[in-house]
Amino acid sequence: MYRLALNMLFGDRAKLAMLLCGLAFSALLMAQQTSVFFGIMSWTYTPIYNIRSTIWVSDPMVEQANDAKPMRDTELGKVRSVDGVSWAAPLHMSILQARMTDGNFKLITMVGIDADTFAGAPAQLSQGRIEELRLPNTVIIDEWGAQLMGRTVVGPDGKTKTVPLKPGDTFEINDIEARIVGICKVRRAFTGGPFVYTTYDRAKAYNLEARRTLSFMLVEPRDGVSASQLCDRIERETALKAWTTDTVIWDWSDRSLAKNTFWWFWKNTGIPFSFGTAVALGLFVGIAISGQTFYSFVLENLKYFAAIKAMGAGMATIARMLLVQALTAGLIGFGLGAGMAQAIGRVMIEKGMPPFVMFPQIFWATLVLVLGISLVSAIIGIIKVSRVDAASVFRG
Amino acid sequence: MSQPTFETAVRTQGVNMFFGEGESRVTALKQADFDARRGELIMLVGPSGCGKTTLLSVIAGTLTPQAGTVEVFGQRLDGLGQEDLTTFRRKNLGFVFQSFNLIPTLTSLENVTVPLLIQGVSQREAEERARIVFEKVGLKGREDSRPNSLSGGQQQRVAIARALVHEPPLLICDEPTSALDKDTGAQIMEMIRTLSRAPNRCVVVVTHDQRIFRFADRIAEMEDGRIRRVVDDPRQLDTTHL
Ligand SMILES: Nc1ncnc2c1ncn2[C@@H]1O[C@H](COP(=O)(O)OP(=O)(O)OP(=O)(O)O)[C@@H](O)[C@H]1O
Ligand SMILES: [Mg+2]
Repeated sequence: MYRLALNMLFGDRAKLAMLLCGLAFSALLMAQQTSVFFGIMSWTYTPIYNIRSTIWVSDPMVEQANDAKPMRDTELGKVRSVDGVSWAAPLHMSILQARMTDGNFKLITMVGIDADTFAGAPAQLSQGRIEELRLPNTVIIDEWGAQLMGRTVVGPDGKTKTVPLKPGDTFEINDIEARIVGICKVRRAFTGGPFVYTTYDRAKAYNLEARRTLSFMLVEPRDGVSASQLCDRIERETALKAWTTDTVIWDWSDRSLAKNTFWWFWKNTGIPFSFGTAVALGLFVGIAISGQTFYSFVLENLKYFAAIKAMGAGMATIARMLLVQALTAGLIGFGLGAGMAQAIGRVMIEKGMPPFVMFPQIFWATLVLVLGISLVSAIIGIIKVSRVDAASVFRG
Repeated sequence: MSQPTFETAVRTQGVNMFFGEGESRVTALKQADFDARRGELIMLVGPSGCGKTTLLSVIAGTLTPQAGTVEVFGQRLDGLGQEDLTTFRRKNLGFVFQSFNLIPTLTSLENVTVPLLIQGVSQREAEERARIVFEKVGLKGREDSRPNSLSGGQQQRVAIARALVHEPPLLICDEPTSALDKDTGAQIMEMIRTLSRAPNRCVVVVTHDQRIFRFADRIAEMEDGRIRRVVDDPRQLDTTHL
């Protein structure tokens, strides 16, 4: 009977295509919208990705990763003296204007890192070496920024193109020269422009107006001390705020800077709301479309299910047939939709820094939802068929 | 009232069936007494709305009457629950409908396998057995055709194959020829008659179609929800009002 059920499903290619399109489209919508949402939201805590450190320490008033409230440099000594701290390094982070050689201004996120330890340095340099930051007036810029801040030239073919910045090129920050000695690969940020790394002391020089420049402290616990333990201790002994930097969304701790940043943006900006609405809409439209398509499939076959019922098939058999049909369609539809979402995501990732994060969880959740939709449609179909009078086969 | 004989296949007594309640109540059968024997082809005729389809549904166990007894091959259907009625239909019944009722997304042969698959016969055996019957209805070579690509007569032949593939003792046909032209209708009736012929099988055919009356062993004439009379020869019928 199951093979027959599947043959019924696959027998009408045109209707099957519509059914699968509905299911695939809703799976695509759900997976895609959710992934873009989490992608955008993960941009909000980009600094944690780009400036790796086990613990971040900040002013107690700081609420999220983009919100630097500079502290006095003496705080560093206090943190270093907390028991369990292996080392603590200063970090400067601010949004400044860079002036290009052609006179244009661009916003940048300036990151000043400790010149002795290079704590918080970008994990991956595609050109240059981090040590060259010790030379005067040097910076390392990220790939996206190098492209964004590049020069526009007219090629021999008459077309304009952008020549990205490369080591040796210069620009100015507050009238002080910045010479590029390296290009790094980092994530794109939600706020501010490209990441420009320099040393902590030089960041002070670039940032003329700043009274204080210690935005964050990067702290590493000693062996055997857990991050959250040390955070507790730092907060108790210094009256500063200490954060862990776990970014794994489904098990981030209460101290996670990523979590607090995520929720800060959730509460304080319209972006999560509008994207959340899009996700909700995706879910709603997805449920509506696939539910409706499967339901119309059932309606079209109602007459034949009634005939099968008259011929002596029990409701249990018919229910199993409908379940096999619905779940098979659901699985194929999910495969198509999730595959498309994945492909679109890949293109987005290749095109540059993606606001696209497809967790395996999103995949599974989409699968569960699509199968759930199929299941509900099947149950509605089963109820519908069970109400159908076997005697109705003689009519019409 | 005649006593049931050893050869009785179907017997209804005092069957009442009405639809709806109050003002809109329609009485379809009142005190319908009907007998059909093993080995015969009996036709149910009568004007439109006289209750032919309703009586057929009662015999088929797809409708349960409000009153009266229904006995098919010694088994009482009145009082049976839905589940037992389903089992009864699975084992005892073959259906031929006016509108064929073939599943359009299945091939013709797959359609014929349905009653066997419902009985739990394996896919392979079902196909083998379906092929044999398929050949008998003269459709060899059209196994993989979809019903919609067949003519009306061919579709009804598929339906006959489907009705007989599991060799049911009771074959029930509601207006099997009225969607077909005269010659095709006669061929279909001929086929029903020859293929369903078996000492123990009873065939009940509801029809309006006077051109096929000659295929009947007996004809039961219905009027206003009851059997008016049963005749052996169609010439005995007053056909002006049919
Ligand atoms: N499900 C139903 N609900 C309400 N009334 C019904 C139902 N089925 C049949 N009837 C009514 O019962 C009466 C007998 O109907 P039935 O279909 O048995 O007649 P019939 O002899 O088969 O007619 P026809 O020759 O037109 O097919 C009719 O008045 C019909 O309207
Ligand atoms: Mg009728």
